[in-house]
Amino acid sequence: MPVQGHRIDVVGLTKHFGETVALDNLTFSVRPGVVTGFLGPNGAGKTTTLRCLLGLVTPTSGTATIDARHYGDLDQPVKVVGSALEASDFHPGRTARAHLQVLTLGAGIDTARADEVLAQVGLSDAATRRVGGFSLGMRQRLALAQALLGDPPVLILDEPANGLDPAGIAWLRGFLRALAAEGRTILVSSHVLSEVKQTVDDVVVITRGRLVRQGGLAELDRGPTAVLVRTPTPELLRDALAGDRVETLPDGRLRVSGRTPEEIGHLAFTTGVELHELSPEASDLERVFLDLTADATPTGVDR
Amino acid sequence: MTGLVRSELRKISSTRLWWGLLIGAVLFTALQAGITAGFAGVDPGGGQPPSPPLDTDEAIRSVYVTSAFAGTYIFALILGITGMTGEYRYKTITPTFLVTPRRPRVVIAKMLAHLGFGFGYAVAGLVAAFVVGGIVISLRDFPLGYGADQLWSGAVLATLAVALWTLLGIGIGTLIRNQIAAIMVAVFVTFLVEPIATFALNSIDLDWVVKWLPTNASAALTSPGDAFLDYLDWWVGGLVLIGYAVVLGGLGLLLSVRRDVT
Repeated sequence: MPVQGHRIDVVGLTKHFGETVALDNLTFSVRPGVVTGFLGPNGAGKTTTLRCLLGLVTPTSGTATIDARHYGDLDQPVKVVGSALEASDFHPGRTARAHLQVLTLGAGIDTARADEVLAQVGLSDAATRRVGGFSLGMRQRLALAQALLGDPPVLILDEPANGLDPAGIAWLRGFLRALAAEGRTILVSSHVLSEVKQTVDDVVVITRGRLVRQGGLAELDRGPTAVLVRTPTPELLRDALAGDRVETLPDGRLRVSGRTPEEIGHLAFTTGVELHELSPEASDLERVFLDLTADATPTGVDR
Repeated sequence: MTGLVRSELRKISSTRLWWGLLIGAVLFTALQAGITAGFAGVDPGGGQPPSPPLDTDEAIRSVYVTSAFAGTYIFALILGITGMTGEYRYKTITPTFLVTPRRPRVVIAKMLAHLGFGFGYAVAGLVAAFVVGGIVISLRDFPLGYGADQLWSGAVLATLAVALWTLLGIGIGTLIRNQIAAIMVAVFVTFLVEPIATFALNSIDLDWVVKWLPTNASAALTSPGDAFLDYLDWWVGGLVLIGYAVVLGGLGLLLSVRRDVT
């Protein structure tokens, strides 16, 4: 059954924790009915943004809304927005089923729903076990089950792939794609691009509480547009490549646009130029991400 | 609100803490009742006057009613404190506030749910006091004294008083998020500050202040006609306890609960 998704708008969101500026005039929006990856290095302010959106943290200024409404103003919030923030928000002495039943009672949802969502995330066998004995992967699944309780059109998941093994990540990918195919709006944060790359349609990249990139994954993650070449005789190669766009990078390598590695390799071979390296350049998104994580001595607090 | 209260009841019943506290309350009450009954009317020596003998109404009330309160209320208080602070300790406050973003409603639901458990604790305490106290009274060949003046009304009021201490616990936990700190402060105030304040204020003729302190306000419910201190009327004592819980909870809502949940 198709679900009517909702849009998420973050406008001028700013949050100070004492002296620390966790979010600095952050603005982005999330389209309904697609999976959006919310990316940034640890400490970029992802969790703080999500907590502002969910009414847990009061922003210093700016707004974060779901269909133009604040989370706290929703009549039955759990039936509109399902969220999984941290895989540690459980009482270790409570069973998985009891944890979910507590929430269904508070939200006015049939308690039988607890077992349904446990089955959905593959935790039926662990329903009567205390959460204290759960592995991190099981906690992630329980957090996801919690998010699904109200069968919400919007899902907000903070680092759901954290602590999952490769099989778990593959499972999560399929799970999120299936939920998105039903028309839900899904916002999923991660500090690892490769974790979400095969899952998301759109990306929002932030660092130090500021927006870096926003757009469709297809546009931002286009295939390589240039080739990087290292050679002891760059002048000879420049001559051979006459007419092509060639720039010299600070580290001495050449960046060649508009040619494939095969073409350049063949040219070098036929003109007798010695090559030490020949590699396609990373996509824009990957480069953005590498730069971010390289200079990321995080000043913000990841919470 | 019904759903929220049921949610809070399920929170309490789905972990083992309430069992542990209940066992503690029953054992402690049994001990209190046994000792009170065992030494009632016995000359303590050293020139101290003996407590009233077991054939007086006063002694019967202190065995059954005062023991039940004295042995149970601190456990009811701790149940209330952990009911609130446990949410912060285990970070379950995040899903709680996600389900119910209007945070004062959570605190009110907690107070109602814990009040229910508090009544249960009080009844368990009374049963323990009546059983163990009754056994010791019988062993000393005294009548069980079920006809003592104000015994049954006192039992009902003691039940109310114990239940109200869970509210006080929620109030303290609402104000002080840290579980250990909240319990330490509560126990410190109840067992050290209050008795010292009672003694000190009495000795400088400020005993009209003393009766408004929480433990003495409870005594207005549990010790009718005590000769030593001039207690409030029982219903004023009850209102005073509710007042403490409301003031602490209100301060907590203003100062603590509104803060960011990170």
